[in-house]
Amino acid sequence: MPMLEVHEVEAGYGPIRALDRVSLEVQEGELVAIIGANGAGKTTLLMAISGIVPVRSGEVRFRGTPINGLQPHQIVRLGIGHSPEGRRIFPRLTVRENLELGGFTQPNSSQLKRDIDEACGLFPVLGERMGQLGGTLSGGEQQMLALGRALVGRPKLLMLDEPSLGLAPLIVTKIFEVIAGLSSRGIAVVLVEQNAYAALKLATRGYVLETGRVTLTGSGKDLAADVRVQDAYLGE
Amino acid sequence: MKNQDPQHSTDFFSRRDRAYEFVRERWDMMALAVLAVAPLCVPALGGALGGQVTTLFIYCILALGLNVVVGYTGLVHLGIAAFFGIGAYIMAILTVPMYPFQIGFLAATIVSVLITAGVGLALGAPTLRLRGDYLAIVTLGFGEVVKVTLRNLEQITGGMKGLNPVPPPGAGVKVAGIDLGLAFAIDPRWFYYLALVSLAGVVLAMRRLEDSRLGRAWVAVREDELAASAMGISATRVKLSAFAMSSAVAGLAGCLYAASLSTTADPNAYDFNRSIMVLCAVILGGLGSIPGTLLGVTILVGFDTVLAPWADSLIQQMNINPSGLILLSFSGWRLAIFGLALVLVMRFRPEGLVPSRRLAAELHEAHP
Repeated sequence: MPMLEVHEVEAGYGPIRALDRVSLEVQEGELVAIIGANGAGKTTLLMAISGIVPVRSGEVRFRGTPINGLQPHQIVRLGIGHSPEGRRIFPRLTVRENLELGGFTQPNSSQLKRDIDEACGLFPVLGERMGQLGGTLSGGEQQMLALGRALVGRPKLLMLDEPSLGLAPLIVTKIFEVIAGLSSRGIAVVLVEQNAYAALKLATRGYVLETGRVTLTGSGKDLAADVRVQDAYLGE
Repeated sequence: MKNQDPQHSTDFFSRRDRAYEFVRERWDMMALAVLAVAPLCVPALGGALGGQVTTLFIYCILALGLNVVVGYTGLVHLGIAAFFGIGAYIMAILTVPMYPFQIGFLAATIVSVLITAGVGLALGAPTLRLRGDYLAIVTLGFGEVVKVTLRNLEQITGGMKGLNPVPPPGAGVKVAGIDLGLAFAIDPRWFYYLALVSLAGVVLAMRRLEDSRLGRAWVAVREDELAASAMGISATRVKLSAFAMSSAVAGLAGCLYAASLSTTADPNAYDFNRSIMVLCAVILGGLGSIPGTLLGVTILVGFDTVLAPWADSLIQQMNINPSGLILLSFSGWRLAIFGLALVLVMRFRPEGLVPSRRLAAELHEAHP
């Protein structure tokens, strides 16, 4: 049984249909990349899974239980973390407060402390900036905070929306290193990326989304080698 | 100037910084100590002034309640006075001789606070799912509905006469030969201390809340609702809890108000103006800031209930206004001064007089 099953999901905004019968699967511990052009529906897909955008038809199942129709906070509590597009850290809260909010569902405070220490182990810069306001961090540090915050929630499946957007290449490398390490900790990842090459290199499998439809799917390696993908997303 | 010993000037500044730091950290204990000793040293507090300062403390409690919704959670609330009024009227209904309950001050306060919180929940549950502007309209409308209801339900609320006499706390209870109720009725300092202790309790509770999971969730929802829900926070439930908490605290303030005046006063005491005045006090002092809220109330309500009557009587004593011209009375200028002060603060210090730690830190970053 796959960990996450998205079956023929339709979703949208008003008259606009952003997802057209999209199906996808994520196995336990897998890293799945979703690539596609702007407006292809990548962000909507993540938001439909996490309950922020309602699913109009079709079904989303997590470990066999249907989750479409649940509230976003209920879905988070099942173990599906979502680091939304644009990082969405709390700029007027300190780094520590941001991380603590990431563990909002953790009732045990000493466990929460350990989880925060662990996140700081992955991104030492966060540990150095504990008392600083989130909004005063650099873009790369904010992305690290967003990722660290999501990990403090101990997700079983983590959905990352454009984690490399607008960051310097060196920091992108660092972020991708951490993402690649997540599967060894047993965390499955759904990675939405503009940076298709880097994402496919990392991914066990990938999906190509075009105007709300899945048009191609395969292993990360195969997709990166596919001529159509190269033409459309990888450039020359 | 440049030849002066640089060591000297650093010493001066670091000492000033330390003094500032000391005040910032310990203002609460200092204020509490001064206010606790004041009635023993200032005889005027045994008279009308004592009652006025008590009212000031009660408005501080009311404003701290409003601050939960407006400051921490970032929602617009234009009807806090309605909950103040509901608290006061339930206190009165449970204690005045015309009703059969007469259950005593403490029990009446507990019941009243619970009911007021319940009313807050009942109003919030269907409306908090709406976006900010609608909530403003709903709370504004609710405030008017409550006022008009209190006025028109004469059989129950006494209409414009209000409900009275609300007996003082401890009526009929004797401690060491002193009738507590009588003591409360004779000397306003008893109410002064009751209100002060209640206020200190509310301040303490608010601090604990600020550092609690719930308090964090309030702020997270204010800052970014979508990100908050991605943390597993239910925005609706969190807003509802803020609404109920603020209603409960407003109810407590209402209980103290009715008991200290020994009447609910007429329903106009709980009208829109009152809501706006408390809201202005919170904004003036600094949204989400406990010391700011207290200072804002002290300035606005203190001006209204303490300074204005005093200045009026001074003008009367000096006999410069024998014909009673409104232009020459201080109260006549009350609202103009009030408005001007607000405009000036919003122009020059929009984050409030004592901004919350977050805003202060943010501004500090912006102007290093």
